Amino acid sequence: MILLESHSVIILNTLTEKFAKAGSIDVQFVDYDGVRFHLSTPQRKTLLLLSMSIRCWEELVQYGAMDVIKREYGSYFKPDAEPEYNVSLEFDLEAIPEDAEAREAIIKSASLLKRNVLGAPFELAFSTQKSLEASASPADGSTPAQGALMQIHYRDEEAIYIQASQDRVTVVFSTVFKDETDRIFGKVFLQEFVDARRQPSIQNAPQVLYSNKEPPLEIRSVPGLKNSDDVGYVTFVLFPRHFSNPDKAYATISRIQEFRDYLHYHIKCSKAYMHSRMRHRVTEFLKVLNRAKTEAPSGERKTVTGRSFSTR
Amino acid sequence: MALLAPIIMDNGTGFSKIGFAGNSDPSFVFPTAIATRESASASTRAAQPSGRGPPIPSKSSHLASKRGIEDLDFHIGDEAMANSKTYGIHYPIRHGMIDNWDHMERYWEQSIFKYLRAEPEDHYFLLTEPPLNPPENRENTAEIFFESFNIQGLYIAVQAVLALAASWSSNKVVDRTLTGTVVDSGDGVTHVIPCAEGYVIGSAIKHIPIAGRDITSFVQTLLRERGETTVIPPEDQLKIAQKVKEDYSYVCQDIVREFRKYDVDPLNYFKRMEGEHSVTGRKYTIDVGYERFLAPEIFFNPEIASSDFLTPLPEVVDNVIQQSPIDVRRGLYKNIVLSGGSTMFEHFGQRLKRDLKQIVDRRIEASEVSSGALMRSTGVEVNVISHKRQRYAVWFGGSLLASLPDFYQHCHTKADYEEVGPSICRRYAIFGSVN
Repeated sequence: MILLESHSVIILNTLTEKFAKAGSIDVQFVDYDGVRFHLSTPQRKTLLLLSMSIRCWEELVQYGAMDVIKREYGSYFKPDAEPEYNVSLEFDLEAIPEDAEAREAIIKSASLLKRNVLGAPFELAFSTQKSLEASASPADGSTPAQGALMQIHYRDEEAIYIQASQDRVTVVFSTVFKDETDRIFGKVFLQEFVDARRQPSIQNAPQVLYSNKEPPLEIRSVPGLKNSDDVGYVTFVLFPRHFSNPDKAYATISRIQEFRDYLHYHIKCSKAYMHSRMRHRVTEFLKVLNRAKTEAPSGERKTVTGRSFSTR
Repeated sequence: MALLAPIIMDNGTGFSKIGFAGNSDPSFVFPTAIATRESASASTRAAQPSGRGPPIPSKSSHLASKRGIEDLDFHIGDEAMANSKTYGIHYPIRHGMIDNWDHMERYWEQSIFKYLRAEPEDHYFLLTEPPLNPPENRENTAEIFFESFNIQGLYIAVQAVLALAASWSSNKVVDRTLTGTVVDSGDGVTHVIPCAEGYVIGSAIKHIPIAGRDITSFVQTLLRERGETTVIPPEDQLKIAQKVKEDYSYVCQDIVREFRKYDVDPLNYFKRMEGEHSVTGRKYTIDVGYERFLAPEIFFNPEIASSDFLTPLPEVVDNVIQQSPIDVRRGLYKNIVLSGGSTMFEHFGQRLKRDLKQIVDRRIEASEVSSGALMRSTGVEVNVISHKRQRYAVWFGGSLLASLPDFYQHCHTKADYEEVGPSICRRYAIFGSVN
């Protein structure tokens, strides 16, 4: 498993089960980045309520999350969300289509709730870029127009910054590593990203820039940036070819918003790999050490008459 | 921001139960199995260069791009089972204890990231361990969780204690005590574990080699002897036996009377069960008869199924309690808690209670007689508690304890760990009980 999937397995499994056979349920679970879910049947067994709480909800609404939800979920969207949660979907098991394929599609899209909501600013940026490109670039050599810088504070100390320009969309992740070891792993990892791009097979991948401590130029104007050693900035430059058609744009959004989780997952994987190498090496060393062991001296030696030798 | 729910992981020999605190059922229940590229037989061969470790990419080059990613090529749980043709299946836990740390670390890694979709840095964890787990294992576990996953806090609880905590959900339980005897019967083995105030009395633990798997094979033999298996295709026989065990079996109070009831009125007691051939889809029906009450009977009369283990369960429970310190015995008799899937039979608790009560009363009577009838005993209260959450009792107990506000105070946090080191995890404070 190299890439993480973007759907929630719990939603997928539970809804599949409940759509097949109605039953009362009340579960709470989480997703990455402090997203909380609550799946329940508050009124009757056939009325499933799926609520999500996400910390950057206000920002996402500002960048068009509502439109995305209405487009994706339509009638399943419940206008007044459950208290303590930001968005609620309601599935009436008596009203959903009988057709197995249609049901599967509903389940699949419900399990992608977080991805869709978090994808809204990216969609907005892509469309902004298209409109900027359409309007002719200024001939007099002045700086070309730029879209607004979107900030999504999706974790306590970390944020995504997205900016659309005439010919590209720039996505900046600020990352904070709590652990010293993680920071080093992360650094090596991100430098590998830059190196790996030199391979001919992935020349078309987005450009990746990494800077430690120093925020990149695009977001230097943002107030309140933390300037300390454990902060790193990863910049992705997406060119129109990365979102030229809807399928590509969809895949790009899914991948890029999971970047942080991907990075952290692989830091953990690398650690696990190092640990198994270490365990392996320790057992090898132990083998060597056991070979070097001197024979245990046998007990006190005695003569035939029963007297023992002793040094004076 | 509200604190995210702690994650409860109960990794058993056969199945892992994983989920979030506060829920009544685990979010995932799947086999504790990991499928890797190396073949299962190769891992045990000592001559192999990589020993029994996980696949390690060759060191031929410094370029990361040329190195492989073999260490990421693995599946866990049900997916591991589905890929068993092309991968080698490993079971990292043996007899309840972690056997292969390399595999276990990867297993945890994927269960957290792929299935739970949780960032371990944001969560507290509650893990379980079998009774008599060596402290070194606990240290290793803590090392992995704190150093690889950077979790916020960790609590490792003994499975039996969690099973006791799960019984608090029963309305028969009045005081939330952690003294009691746990009868834990899963698929492979049945344990009887006495606990006093949250601590396991290690010297008195007993294991019984009769559990779910044995019941299934006993049902299969019974069906075969009655000639029912002629209609069942051979590859479905195990599945059918399992279904009979799970859906139709119950514990009777008296075998002889039960046999007579069946013979007098077979129409009422024999059930018809429909099956479907798993390949061809052909329908067939079988009769389910005596095995309905005989299947779980092997706990109470083991001689009907095996010849090498002959002590009935109530007698084992009695022996365990008699071997425990005298001052807790009353508490142990009073609170016998069932846990695990093989204790789910109807009336299982009642039968155990009745048989145990008989043994205890007989002993009291004998001691009264031998004392010359001068002393009168006030009697010993025997109570067997069955509740709704029995199947995943250990996990549920964990979910219950981790949703208590005290939980966070009793965890070892990352800061504590960094201050003291892995040895901090040798000690865990018991909490949650009222007395």
